[in-house]
Amino acid sequence: MILEVQNLHLSFKGVKALAGVGFSVAEGEFFAVIGPNGAGKTTLLNVLSGVYEPEKGEVVFLGESLRGKSPQARARMGLGRTFQGLEIFRGMSVLENVKLGAELALPGYPMALPRAEREWRLRAWAEEVLDYLHLSPFRHAPAGMLPYGLQKRVEVARALAGRPKLLLLDEPMAGLALEEKQDLARFLLDAREEWGVTLLWVEHDLRAVLELSDRVLVLSYGEVLYYGPPEGVKKDPKVVEAYLGQG
Amino acid sequence: MYALSKRLTDAFSRRFARAVRETYREDEAYASTPLGRLALYAFLLLLLLLPLLLGPYPMYVATLVAIGALSALGLHLLVGGAGQISLGHAAFMGVGAYTASHLTGPLAPLGVLLGGGIAASLGLLLGLPSLRIKGVYLAIATLAFQFLADYAFKTWEAVTGGIRGRTLPPPEVLGLVLDTPERLWYLVLLFALPLFFYGKRLLMTRAGRAFRAVRDNDLSARVAGVDLTRAKLLAFALSAFYAGVAGGLLAQLYKAVTPEYFPLSVSIQYLAMVIVGGAGTVLGAVLGAFFVLLIPEVLNGFVGALGPEYAAQLAAWRNVAFGLLILAFLVLEPLGLVGLWGRVRDYFRTWPLPY
Repeated sequence: MILEVQNLHLSFKGVKALAGVGFSVAEGEFFAVIGPNGAGKTTLLNVLSGVYEPEKGEVVFLGESLRGKSPQARARMGLGRTFQGLEIFRGMSVLENVKLGAELALPGYPMALPRAEREWRLRAWAEEVLDYLHLSPFRHAPAGMLPYGLQKRVEVARALAGRPKLLLLDEPMAGLALEEKQDLARFLLDAREEWGVTLLWVEHDLRAVLELSDRVLVLSYGEVLYYGPPEGVKKDPKVVEAYLGQG
Repeated sequence: MYALSKRLTDAFSRRFARAVRETYREDEAYASTPLGRLALYAFLLLLLLLPLLLGPYPMYVATLVAIGALSALGLHLLVGGAGQISLGHAAFMGVGAYTASHLTGPLAPLGVLLGGGIAASLGLLLGLPSLRIKGVYLAIATLAFQFLADYAFKTWEAVTGGIRGRTLPPPEVLGLVLDTPERLWYLVLLFALPLFFYGKRLLMTRAGRAFRAVRDNDLSARVAGVDLTRAKLLAFALSAFYAGVAGGLLAQLYKAVTPEYFPLSVSIQYLAMVIVGGAGTVLGAVLGAFFVLLIPEVLNGFVGALGPEYAAQLAAWRNVAFGLLILAFLVLEPLGLVGLWGRVRDYFRTWPLPY
């Protein structure tokens, strides 16, 4: 197990955002978290990446407890993250965004090398990632000036460039056209295949989730409604009642 | 014959006059194309020979601008680079200047360097609130530092000489007395050139990216592995170091230090340089300093032409001109002079085609 989450609790001013959430993600898995608005999905990602500290419970990543570790320390351990909405570096070029991410991938950004050589290695790897995500023609464009779909892809590129072992994606498909969704799905599956990235994604597009994911966790009001293979999601009476509605 | 001459000119333009970057490796380096390198060497040569070309007064102005550009570059790293704000830049220059006023003559270069060091450690201290507060609140915190420093300059007589300030004998390097702007110019270059190259490199590599990441999106920066504390403190310390060195050099040029040299209005003048220059780049620092520091000189000329009765209003007009200028740039060209220059360059790069 690459990630083990045990009994997470977190509340904001009395509102329980997470109430005893526990699950585990296997290496190489495509793991989905779904649920209605306010279910605690983004809160869960924020706890995993270290933006929030849970009140109770434990997150174990690669066999090591993450308690008290800062977001940047977790990033260096191989925990990548993209955000809901656009949290790229808008004033930087696409290439700079990806290079910043790539610094996590090069073991220790070898300080012994001359600076030009270090930059050059970063550049070579960043170009590979750009090429992979079909972003090469936009490398020098300010990231904030690109259309929405491309900006989303830049964020995925930045996160993938860091060679994370586990990548947390917060609604990567929100607001994308069908074709862009298909492209992104292909990129993610390829990344898993080629670089061995384990993927944990929060997504609203139920069809995509059920088609792509190996296992699904359904949250509602901070509690686990369902945890298992995608085929079972639509059959589970609790999920149908809380999330899908009667058809 | 035609074929031969064509081959020769082609070879020439490939070797020396190429201005387009052709490989990733060239794209990474600065002044990487042959034409870019040629321009850089020519510019360095011009800087070295400048005292031979200009008279004493233009040389005084040139030295002033070079020192101003150095200080402005420090603020560019902080404001344009890391997206923090400081209204206390002049205070750091003051710290450098007073430090330099205690180590003079043959010790002057050491004094300037030490001034930068002391300013940097104070900058580190001033960076601490930036870990907690942003924007307007940070501006107020740095404003408080400016006033504290002002007060210290005026009242800590043992070190600063109080209101009267301190005077400096001219610096000596290798037995040579640098008592004119022409000679002092070389001391300024000795500090400014390495610091400019360092600043340029810094902005192009890891630390510069970390700065800009903090500026654009600090939450995302943390999750992408950027150490926020380190990046912000480094930006404040470096910015103060540049200011301190520039302040020490300014003290050599003025041959004196008084509290009047480093008030709040000078801090604001430097912010104006950053805005007018634009975009947190090295070129922006130079252009901004040029523009802002030359305005008083130009206005001086105007007032001289109009007659002495207008001289009293000079200071007021200068502030009006600054205000209008900052407004104009914020509204019309947020990227500043660098943005303007970029457009001119792109126009010629694609000339005669419109795109």
